[in-house]
Amino acid sequence: MNTKTSAKGVGTDSETTMGNPYHNKTAQWIAYALFFLALAAIPFSVDDDFLLNQLATYGVYGMLALSISLCWGFGGILNLGQGIAFGLGAYGMAMTMQMQTQTAENPIPPIMLNNGLDYLPFLWWPFQNTVSGLIFAVGIPTLFCAVFGRIMFKARVSGAFFAIMTLAMLSAFYTIILDQQAYTGGVNGITPPSPLQLGSFQIDPYSPAAYWTVFFALLIATVIAKLITQSSFGLVTQAIRDDAERVRFLGYSVSSYETTIYTISGLIAAVAGCLWVMVVQYVSPAQLDVGLSISMVIWAAIGGRMSLLWAIIGAFLIQGGQSYLGDAFLSTWLLILGGFFIVVVRFLPNGLASLVEAGLGMLASKPKETSFREPSGVKPVPSE
Amino acid sequence: MAGLLEISHLCKSFDTIKVIDDFSLEVTEGTLCCLVGPNGAGKTTTMDLITGRIKPTSGKIIFAGEDITGADEHAIARAGIGRKFQVPAVLRDLTVRENLSVAYSRQTNPFWNLCRFKVPGLEQKIDEIATLADLTHRLGEKAGILSHGETQWLEISMVLMQEPRLMLMDEPIAGMTEGEIEKTARIFKDLRKSTTLIVVEHDMGFVREIADVVTVMHMGTLLAQGSLHEIEADPRVRSVYLGEQEAA
Ligand SMILES: Nc1ncnc2c1ncn2[C@@H]1O[C@H](COP(=O)(O)OP(=O)(O)OP(=O)(O)O)[C@@H](O)[C@H]1O
Ligand SMILES: [Mg+2]
Repeated sequence: MNTKTSAKGVGTDSETTMGNPYHNKTAQWIAYALFFLALAAIPFSVDDDFLLNQLATYGVYGMLALSISLCWGFGGILNLGQGIAFGLGAYGMAMTMQMQTQTAENPIPPIMLNNGLDYLPFLWWPFQNTVSGLIFAVGIPTLFCAVFGRIMFKARVSGAFFAIMTLAMLSAFYTIILDQQAYTGGVNGITPPSPLQLGSFQIDPYSPAAYWTVFFALLIATVIAKLITQSSFGLVTQAIRDDAERVRFLGYSVSSYETTIYTISGLIAAVAGCLWVMVVQYVSPAQLDVGLSISMVIWAAIGGRMSLLWAIIGAFLIQGGQSYLGDAFLSTWLLILGGFFIVVVRFLPNGLASLVEAGLGMLASKPKETSFREPSGVKPVPSE
Repeated sequence: MAGLLEISHLCKSFDTIKVIDDFSLEVTEGTLCCLVGPNGAGKTTTMDLITGRIKPTSGKIIFAGEDITGADEHAIARAGIGRKFQVPAVLRDLTVRENLSVAYSRQTNPFWNLCRFKVPGLEQKIDEIATLADLTHRLGEKAGILSHGETQWLEISMVLMQEPRLMLMDEPIAGMTEGEIEKTARIFKDLRKSTTLIVVEHDMGFVREIADVVTVMHMGTLLAQGSLHEIEADPRVRSVYLGEQEAA
């Protein structure tokens, strides 16, 4: 795959790699800063509440794409079941918000009453308190990833086999949630009657506060993910993506690294799930639909899975395109997306990011005659 | 003094075929042992068994007084055994510098490494090894674009970065030029002062140059052991190994 990239002149040749600002860590941080400044400013120029709310959901999608980029782009672990972490996080949040609206006189949510349960099931207990609810909403999916990842990676399940296992797991969760109507609301899911209440503050989904909360979470997640990729851990992870077998003989426990990156990725997706419910005020098994989890992978692939920032942009572009073009081309949208996906995977292994990388490389290597440049202070980063 | 590595009665079968058959070997600390033998003798398989890539059917491997038989690859590597593979295995998508950084694996705990951005001593170590291996001008390149000889050198350098007590080198000079081979011999002889090496090699000239002890394997068993001189005089060795080479 990579030979193809270099053949197309995408910055792997000696001349372009050194000078290409795409590979310069400082330039990368500046690009991230500009991107987030632009996002932060959006509420000042948008006064359509509905649009702002929609943009906030894009922030959630961006976070999901980020989590895929971290796990797949950097860790080489293709995860087609990110909906598990996302969905469980979302259900946890919905349960917390639902319980916020129950009172002493009326302690049992309608889901149970309508399904013939006259008591609060054990499963719902932790969500009676907002703090513990939020901890469980994020903690349970994270714990699931840690355990599932540990079992899989210890048994050296990898590549397509791991992807299929995640897919199977996702379907299992989907079925259980759909099935256990009295606990989960079945196909209708949970629709908390009022917005998230944090202390005395209510986060109205249509307010800039909701947008900024999502934005801020995305910012934090991105900065942490970026730091992870630049740490020693990130380097080992990329080495494992390259050749896991070889890395074992250097003394690294590959399964621990894989479990860790998979779990961190799951944690980000779980937070995204919580934010999703905060913004749309409902959850249903659709959040664990196979199609959504595959979409997350497509966002990252089209944007550029080896670039955190471009994976996020991929999610924005595709979801944006779907909302605005999708209405016009309703039936053909999937075809367009599929075609686009094939073109990107075939010709741009790192998605739109490769175009940017090539463009910047060309700009930077204008003076062609330089024969050999020593790696000056700046270390080139392999991906990104 | 007991050996740094003690292999006793090692056996490995694939299905019904005995590939390693009651093989015993002791390697003394600070020596360079050459492991020779015709193709298919089981040299690479022996290295796979030592480094945990495959598990023995029976037998025991003791390294530095510790039983490492059947342990995980990473645990054996951490115990102090570094390995260069027969088919050079480097991280092709990473740069030469990154390959060396990953190989400098003093800290292997994932959680510690999550909060480490600068590794103390790494830069000097890379400088030192890259100079030795003549890779300084290639540090920024992707390992995938190196020539065959450079790839060999990069992998040897990775083993050096690991600072292991025992280095296993599987056919390290395959594909090198005369000059590169001479340099390798020089460096290996130098390394022997501080570490222990087991080198698998077919090139007898190279073996003569570097070996303290030569071990001959044949069909998974130890055929003979001693100085190159003794080995060459051994009639059994002549028949199975040297004879074969002459015929080829
Ligand atoms: N996984 C395996 N399954 C079955 N047979 C195997 C396997 N690995 C190795 N063998 C057999 O074991 C024997 C020893 O192989 P090995 O690679 O150790 O030889 P070698 O001494 O390294 O030879 P060479 O000099 O060609 O590298 C060969 O006959 C090979 O066919
Ligand atoms: Mg071999």
